[in-house]
Amino acid sequence: MRTNYYIIKDGILRRKENTVYFINKEGKRALPINKIYAIYAYGNLSFTSGVVSYLARNGIPIHFFNSYGFYEGSLYPRETLVAGDVTIKQAEHYSNKSKRCYLAKRFVEGATRNILRNLNYYSSSNLSLKKYIENIESEIPRIDGYDTIPQIMSVEGHIRDIYYNALDEIFPEEFRMGTRVKRPPNNKANALISFGNSLMYATVLSEIYNTQLNPTISYLHEPFERRFSLSLDVAEIFKPIIVDRVIFKLVNKRMLNDGDFVGELGDMLLSDSGRRKFLQEYHDRLSRTIKHKSLGREVSYQRLIRLELYKLVKHVLGTQEYKPLVIWW
Amino acid sequence: MYVIVVYDVNVERIDKVRIFLKQYLNWVQNSVFEGELTKVELKIIEKGVKDLIDQEQDSVRVYVLRNDKYLKTIELGTSKVKLSEII
Repeated sequence: MRTNYYIIKDGILRRKENTVYFINKEGKRALPINKIYAIYAYGNLSFTSGVVSYLARNGIPIHFFNSYGFYEGSLYPRETLVAGDVTIKQAEHYSNKSKRCYLAKRFVEGATRNILRNLNYYSSSNLSLKKYIENIESEIPRIDGYDTIPQIMSVEGHIRDIYYNALDEIFPEEFRMGTRVKRPPNNKANALISFGNSLMYATVLSEIYNTQLNPTISYLHEPFERRFSLSLDVAEIFKPIIVDRVIFKLVNKRMLNDGDFVGELGDMLLSDSGRRKFLQEYHDRLSRTIKHKSLGREVSYQRLIRLELYKLVKHVLGTQEYKPLVIWW
Repeated sequence: MYVIVVYDVNVERIDKVRIFLKQYLNWVQNSVFEGELTKVELKIIEKGVKDLIDQEQDSVRVYVLRNDKYLKTIELGTSKVKLSEII
C-alpha cells in the first residue's frame, strides 16, 4: 500500500539518491518514492525540477493548498490510464440531458442518505434531531421529480442547510455554525468544514487519476474550465462519511483548543497545530478498513472512493447502473 | 506486512544497499530500515539486495511482521527520525 504524505512545514522538496527528500532547517526526511501515493502540500514548498519530473514519472500527484487551507491546484501527472471509449461515453452522459440528470440525482441522493446516517447516529441521544431528519427524508422523494440541474442543485443546497442546522444541535456552543460561510470561514465549525472539504476534493482527484475517467467531465457540477469538477461530484458522497465524521470526533471528544485556530470571529482558520490534528484524524480515517459487503474482504475508506469511481465507469459504459454508496455500518 | 531490515554490509557496497532500500522503506537509523510492504515489494527487495551484496561477506536480515500492530518499539536515547505521514 502506498500512503499519503501531508507537508505542513516550509521547506524544499528535492530528488536525491533516487528518492524524495524533504529538507528544512530542522533537518531532512526521506520519503520512499515507491511508497508515496499523493502529497498534500500546505506549507511553502520549494521544488527542484528533478523532483517534479521524478514524481510525475512515478504517477504521484501533488495537491497544493494556500495559507487558508483552500485547494489551489495540483501537479497532476500525465494520464497513463487513458481510454478513449470511456471519455466519449462520459461526455455522452453529460450532453444527454436525462442521462446527466440521472447521475446528478444519484450524487445528491448518495450524499443525502449518508447525511441521514450521520444524523441517525446521534438521534438516539439527541431527540431534537428528529424533526431535521424528517425534514431531510421528505426531500429525498422530491429529488427524482426535478429534471434540470439548477433545481437538483437547489434541493442539495436545501438539504445541506437543514443538515448544518441539525449539527448545531449536536455541537457544543463554541462550535456552532449558524450559516455556512466560506472564503474566509467566519467561525470554528465553518473553518473545519472548509478545510475538510478542500482535502476531500484533492483526495477524490488522486483516485480519479488512477482510473480511466476524465476528471473534467462532471454531472452535478458544471464542468468549468481549469477545474476537475468530477471530483466535486464524487466528493459530495464522501464528505459526510469522511470529513464530517472527522469533525464530529475532533469536536465531540474535545480534541481541539483555542490554539488550534487562528484569527477572530468573522475570519477563522485552523492553525498549524489544528491542521496537524485534522490531518492525522483524516489520514487515520482514510486508512481505516471495513469489511465490504459484496467484495467480502477488508477495504479502506480510501479504496471505497476508487470503487465508487469504478461503478461510475461501469455506468457510463452501460454494464451496470450506478447506485451511490450509502454506508451500511 | 511490516518489515524491519538490518544489514551489515562492507563499506564498499553499503551505500548502494542504503540507497536501494530508501526507495521502499523508511530509514530509522544507521543500517536499519522499516516500513509497510506488499508481498511483491518484499520480493523486489529480496532480489534487489541479493544482487547488490557479496554473498560471502555481507549479511542482511529481514524481520517480517504480519502487521505493525504486533510491533512494540522501545526507544532509548534520542530518536533519529519521526515516521509520521504528517510532516
